Amino acid sequence: MPKNHVLAFLFIASAICLQAQTQVTEESWIGDLKGGARIQKTQKLYWENGFALDLTSPKLVDNRVHLGVSYVTSRLGSAMGTNAIKQDNFLLSMGYHFRPQKDLQPFTRLNTGYFHADYEYEIFDVLPNNAFLLSIDAGLSYEFKVPFTVNLSAGYNLNTGNGSSGPGTLYPVFYQMSLYYTILKKRSNDN
Amino acid sequence: MITRNIFFGLQVVFLFFLSACSKSPDIDDATMLDGDQIFDPSLYDPEAYLVSMAIDDPSDAQKNTPVVITVHGYSASTFEWDEFRTYTDANADILVSQVLLGGHGRTYEDFKNSSWHDWQEPIMAEYNALREKGYTNISFAGSSTACPLVLDLIKKGKIGANGMKNIFLIDPIVIPSDKLLTLVGLVGPMLGYLETDNSEGEEGHWYHFRPQETLQELMDLIDKVRRDLQKGYDLPAGTNMKVYKSIKDSSADPVSAVLIYKGLKNSDGSDIDMEMMDSDLHVVTRLDGRENITQKDRDIQKGVFDDMLMRIEQ
Repeated sequence: MPKNHVLAFLFIASAICLQAQTQVTEESWIGDLKGGARIQKTQKLYWENGFALDLTSPKLVDNRVHLGVSYVTSRLGSAMGTNAIKQDNFLLSMGYHFRPQKDLQPFTRLNTGYFHADYEYEIFDVLPNNAFLLSIDAGLSYEFKVPFTVNLSAGYNLNTGNGSSGPGTLYPVFYQMSLYYTILKKRSNDN
Repeated sequence: MITRNIFFGLQVVFLFFLSACSKSPDIDDATMLDGDQIFDPSLYDPEAYLVSMAIDDPSDAQKNTPVVITVHGYSASTFEWDEFRTYTDANADILVSQVLLGGHGRTYEDFKNSSWHDWQEPIMAEYNALREKGYTNISFAGSSTACPLVLDLIKKGKIGANGMKNIFLIDPIVIPSDKLLTLVGLVGPMLGYLETDNSEGEEGHWYHFRPQETLQELMDLIDKVRRDLQKGYDLPAGTNMKVYKSIKDSSADPVSAVLIYKGLKNSDGSDIDMEMMDSDLHVVTRLDGRENITQKDRDIQKGVFDDMLMRIEQ
């Protein structure tokens, strides 16, 4: 049985790598399209994990600008099988990458979106549990030779709970790791 | 030249950190609890505050009289429960034991050098002393930081079955309202301390300056309690809990109530009692020393006191 698992893994990995060779033409609006998993830890609070998509375009400052969509939730982190509050973060991002031709790229990013916390009991309906999200983060992105990219960053939520308004479990400082698989890649000039 | 500038810059940064770390507050001994002239009155006259010390040899009737151990919050003093004592003296036949948290009610340096374990110690000391003297009907009422301290005692099994009849939590803190407190470990050493804006009536009963070391202790305590609640645990058999929480609170985020409600259950697995109060005060049971108190605040305070007494005397 373990042997079958290994073979299945190798088959899937091969398929993924082949898929990664999917290239778009020079004229296409889309540059690189990457999708993957995101792990987020809030300082002194929860692990919140989920998914992220990242898109570049040659039409947008020569692939330096990255557009992103992500969803992270404690449902896939600290709240799995525990009493932690189930909370969801839906985010749209715009990032700027330095050294876009290099494997290692410092980046900075502005994120906005929607936060929702599920308090589960009616008695807590009087408490705020939704919020507009606005955060900034900065970090490093490394693109491997295989079609994977890892992003590490630290960020700051500008809109947090304060006891009178805003969800109480919306904290300021967070750390993220995103592991992207390259779904579409723009053909380079020398190909 | 560049190297010399960098070296000079590093020296400036180092000196800044050094000066920041050694910063001491400007304490007015005559008016501030932080100084060496004003101390909590329970230190001078413990018999007036602690039931275990007030009655050497309690009678059977006294042993069966309800005793409430009242405990104040971070940086406060026994003053926080004076109004409850006054109210119960006039309206109920119970005994009140006002405990001063360890490290509190003394000088700034004493406070600065205390850990949350030190804060917790007098609670157990009074509880054990009452049990040893034969008191059978003991309850606990805590405000703000006293709540995570007693939640930790419950988690550690320090309060056995039928050891405490009621536990009342007033505006418990598990999540701070000021989220920048989560960064105190990083920026605290640079700040040294935080200054509060006590009213004239509060000065002398609350520390004016909060050492960053104690803020880190506070964060360590509530972070531990939050993680314990995340895993979940039960009250001891025979113990009832009631939580009273303001829906707006500049110190203890109201979401603290959610975490307690989800994480702590009665011994039979049922939900604890919870009341969300339409108030914006932190510690709704303490009004003395505040400015701009309304009739609504007084009604809420009386409602909580009456509810507590009803449960204690049941």
